[in-house]
Formats: sequence, structure tokens, C-alpha cells
Amino acid sequence: MAGPSVARKGDGPDLLTAGLFIGFGALGFWLARDLDQGTLAQMGAGYLPRAVCGLLILLGGVIGAVALRRRAEAIEPMRLRPLLVIFLSIVGFAYLCEHGGFVLASLWLIIAGSLADPGGRWRTTLMLAGGLTAFGALVFVYGLGVQIELWPF
Amino acid sequence: MEIFDLLMMGFSEAMTPQNLGFCLIGALLGTLIGVLPGIGPTATIAVLLPITFFLPPLAGIIMLAGIYYGAQYGGSTTAILVNLPGEASAVVTALDGYQMAQQGRAGSALAVAALGSFFAGTVATFGIAIAGPMLSSFALNFGPAEYVALMVFGLLAATILASGPVLKAIGMILIGLLFGMVGTDQATGAERLTFGSLELFDGIDFTVIAIGLFGFSEIISNLERSGSEGVKVAKLTRLWPTREDFRRSWPAVLRGTGIGSFLGILPGGGATLASFSAYSLEKKVSKHPHKFGTGVVEGVAAPEAANNAAAQSSFIPLLTLGIPSNNMMAMMLSAFMIHGITPGPTVMTTQPEIFWGLVASMWIGNALLVFINLPLIGLWVKLLTVPYRLLYPAILLFCCVGVYSMNNRIFDVLLAAGFGLLGYAFRKAKCEPGPLLLGFVLGPLLEANLRRTLLITQGDPSIFVERPISLTMLAATVILLALMILPSFRKKREEAFQEEES
Repeated sequence: MAGPSVARKGDGPDLLTAGLFIGFGALGFWLARDLDQGTLAQMGAGYLPRAVCGLLILLGGVIGAVALRRRAEAIEPMRLRPLLVIFLSIVGFAYLCEHGGFVLASLWLIIAGSLADPGGRWRTTLMLAGGLTAFGALVFVYGLGVQIELWPF
Repeated sequence: MEIFDLLMMGFSEAMTPQNLGFCLIGALLGTLIGVLPGIGPTATIAVLLPITFFLPPLAGIIMLAGIYYGAQYGGSTTAILVNLPGEASAVVTALDGYQMAQQGRAGSALAVAALGSFFAGTVATFGIAIAGPMLSSFALNFGPAEYVALMVFGLLAATILASGPVLKAIGMILIGLLFGMVGTDQATGAERLTFGSLELFDGIDFTVIAIGLFGFSEIISNLERSGSEGVKVAKLTRLWPTREDFRRSWPAVLRGTGIGSFLGILPGGGATLASFSAYSLEKKVSKHPHKFGTGVVEGVAAPEAANNAAAQSSFIPLLTLGIPSNNMMAMMLSAFMIHGITPGPTVMTTQPEIFWGLVASMWIGNALLVFINLPLIGLWVKLLTVPYRLLYPAILLFCCVGVYSMNNRIFDVLLAAGFGLLGYAFRKAKCEPGPLLLGFVLGPLLEANLRRTLLITQGDPSIFVERPISLTMLAATVILLALMILPSFRKKREEAFQEEES
């Protein structure tokens, strides 16, 4: 973490913000490249997207320029484990829902998702998975009529 | 009196067993998530949004509204008993509430909070009933130019009144607008910003963004911090406040209700801002301001009344103008849209049972909450000991099923997971995702009205300053922006927010 050192400059979170804003602005510009511009009276599909992207890039530039002169502040350290585990368990759920049915998808989601927290014990995780899957099947599939097959066959 | 007839009709709608049941479910759920730190009302409503599709319109909306104001009650419980505000709006309640609990006056603090909230909720509900019809008949005169000005004012004012750096918030609004443009252009039918993907032709679903940004990324960042286990709960003693507490808290409740009802209407207002402002007002008018923070009953009564009043009155701009004033109301807006109802001045005349049913249910819900909170307090306190590691898999499952069930598409779930990553990046960049949601919801409306205005005037933008209502709102926007740039005001605002955070 950045200490009280005055020598280093650059506000990490703000620089990241600037990057995100400019990135989205540039992406939008690129995606809108073929869209019709139109006039103020007859706006084409591309008029407002371009205007918004332009403003975003401008704003990102201002935030970035100011952040460079600010005292150094580090971005909070990232922990990959929860990020990756949660992301992958959601992606797995999506595919299993379609091809493997609700029961498998839900069991996967809860068991895989529980790995994000290193403190869990296998017995509680399995009980939780079983209980939540049964609850989900009853409430969502039977109770609310969500259109998901329960089993893969 | 016509208004009483309408209110009676609302009560008869809200009193049907089904609606009463969903009101109770909403209030219970709201209290539950209010008590549990780490789950906010925004995330909960995002999760339940797709589910309301399977309910009748009024029942679904009543339930979601119940969650919002129920969370204000629940948040105070943990703030007082364990010094752990369950909701952002209960942060100031913890200052004096926890001290009261330490002195053995926890029951008294809880009762003052619940009764103050109930009083504030009642006043604000009648406020909606009275102000609603007036505002909406006024809004019927609005043309597209007025709507554009109103939305610009709403969006910018929301960022200025909310905490956090203004430039970042404006940027988040712009990104929200950009996401709102994805899909088929309403006016020309051209595909925009879709990466050529068929799944995006209809645009991005609100639920996908909301669950990604608030549901998934909240889980990820909560897990990063972890350590929400083992809280120490203060002992509960007598529940009824002393006569002295009553005497000192009722003026504070009145002031809190007033300030909360007013701030709730403003764009960007809402429960959190209201409770902070009410606390600082109490400190200013008090004869012994130095005692605040040591267990003063006014310090509990005023913010609790204010956050509940604001939670109710922030429905006013949504129900009468169709403009959501904060991200919670953006959620409510899309809950209406799911059922094909566009909130706005016409709802009151075309579907009066929705408006009045909701208003009546709010009062019923507030009454239910007093019963849910006071006698059942022991149960809620027990819940606090449930570790987060057992909770988040359930939240995860509800999020995933909710997103998937909208269209039965893998794509939506993947997109929501992507928004989860994006939300995580925003958190690292210290950007609040709330304004993005507002921009996303208002974007299509803003664009349609802007185009319509300029089409009528043949591309002449001077109409915005020629119409008086639009001019007033744009002038207010400019003044607000100018104030932000002025260094002295900016310093004061930062001080105000810092005070709140400490």
C-alpha cells in the first residue's frame, strides 16, 4: 500500500476510472462507426451514442489528468479466488441449466461457489447444497412455474 | 372528499388476502435483509425483480415496496444492538443507538426507532396521497421539452446530492446512457452497439445489469473482505421507552419526518441522505450538542424517522412524473414496466387501483413492521449470528435463477456475470454503480423526448429556454453545477460527507 510518501504521484482508483471511461467511450465510438449521424432535427441512430462517447472520453481525460497530479494512492489489492470462483460457478450454472437441468445446475453452483470462501467445511456445504436445491426446485420450478427442466433426462 | 374515497378504494385493494400476504412477505424480507449486513435492498430487489413477473402487478409492486421500507426498520436493529448498520441509512443511528444499548437502554432505543419510523411512514404516506394527484395533474401539461429538462435536472441533481466525486458519478450516468442505447434504435430501427449479436437486438435487460452490478459484484467484494462472523449482541432489557425518552424524542421525530419527506422527493435524495441530514439538524438545534454520540435518544429518533419518511416520499416523483429519483426507484420503475405499466401522471387516472393500492399498502406495511420488529426482535438478533458463508450461496442461487428465468437463455446469465466483473472493476475504481442504473433507465426516455423536441422545432434548441418550466429546471441544473465547481461549496460538501462517514 502507498504510504505517506510525497514523491510518488498518481491516484490509482481515479486512474482506473479514467481508463474505464475512456475505454467505454472509445469502444462506443468504434461500434457506432457505421451508424447514421443525421442532423439535429432528424437525429440518426448514431447521433447520441457519439455525443455520449465524446463526453465520456472528455470526462475520462479530465479525471485522469487530475489523478496524475494527486498524491499516490494504490488500488485496493485484488483477491483472485472469490472473483474467479464466483464467475466460473455462474458460467457453469448457465450451461448446466440448459443442458443438465435445475438440480445439477443448482448443486454445481452452490458447491463450486462455496469454494470462494476458504473457511467452509464439506459437510455443511453439501447440506446447504441439498437444502437450497430442494427449496429452489419447490419454490421456483413448482411454485412460480419457472421453465427449467429438473433433470437432464 | 374525493381523496378519501380513493384512499378507501386503495385500502380495499390492499386488504385483499393476496395483497396483504405479499405486503407481509415484503416487510419480512425487508426486515431480514435490513438486519443482515452485506445484503442491501437494491440487490434484493434486483434478485426478486424477475420473480414479480409471475405475480399480479399490484402484488409484486407492493412486495418490492415493502422490502424497501422494511429494510429501513431492519437496518436500525443491528445498528443499535451490535453497532453494525445493516443499511447505509442506519449508519448514524449506530452512533447514539449503540451507546444507548451499552447503557442498558437498547429496548428503549429500538422502540423509539420503530415508533418514530411508523409515525414518519404514516405522515409520508398521506403526503403521497395528497401531493400525488396535484403533481400529476401539473405533469400532464408537460411536453417533450419539459421532460428533457426534468430528466437532465434529475440526473445531475442525483449525482450532486449523492456522496462521492461528482465527475465520476456523471461518467457513470453516461455509461448507463450508453448501455441504454444498446439494441434496436426506437426511431430508425437500426442496430446500435450490439457487436452484431442477435441476443442484444432487444437491448440489455435491466435485471441483467442490476443483478450483475449489485448482486454478483457485491458477493465478490464481500467475500474479499470476509470476516462477518461472530458479532457481539448487546443485552436486551425493557422494551418500552421511559416517559423522559418519549418527551425528548417526539420533537425530534417531527423534525426528522419533515426533513425526510422533503429530501425524499428530491432527485438523489432518499433514505441515506435524509438520515444524515436529520442527525446533523438535531445536533444543531439541540441545547447540548456535545452529548451527541454518547447515547442521546434524539440521535436515534430523528434519523430513523427521516430515513423512513424519505423511503416513502421518494415514490412521489416516480408515481407522478415517471422519473425515478434514486437507484431504488429505478428498480421500482422497471418493476412497473415488467407488467406493462409505465409510471407517470396517467397511471393515476387509468389505473387508480395501482396507485392507491400501493399507497394504502405502504401504511399497512408500516403498521405490520412495528409488530414484526418489536415483539420478534429476539428472532432477528439470532439471525445475525448466521455467517455470510452460509448466506451467499443462497443469494447466488436466487440471482442466477432470476436472470435465467427471464428468457431461458444462457446468454443473459453470462452477460450478468460479465456485469459482475465490471461492477467489481467499478468498486476498485471507487465508482458508485447507482448513477449508472439511473442513466440506463432514463436513457431511452431522454433520447426519445430529445428527438421529439428537436423534430418539432426543426432542430432549434432554443425551445428549452423559451418554455418556462424547462427554463427553470435547466437554470437549477446550471446553478447546481456551478456550485459544485465553486471551491468553497465543494469543501463544505466534502466536510459534510466526511462527518457522516466518521
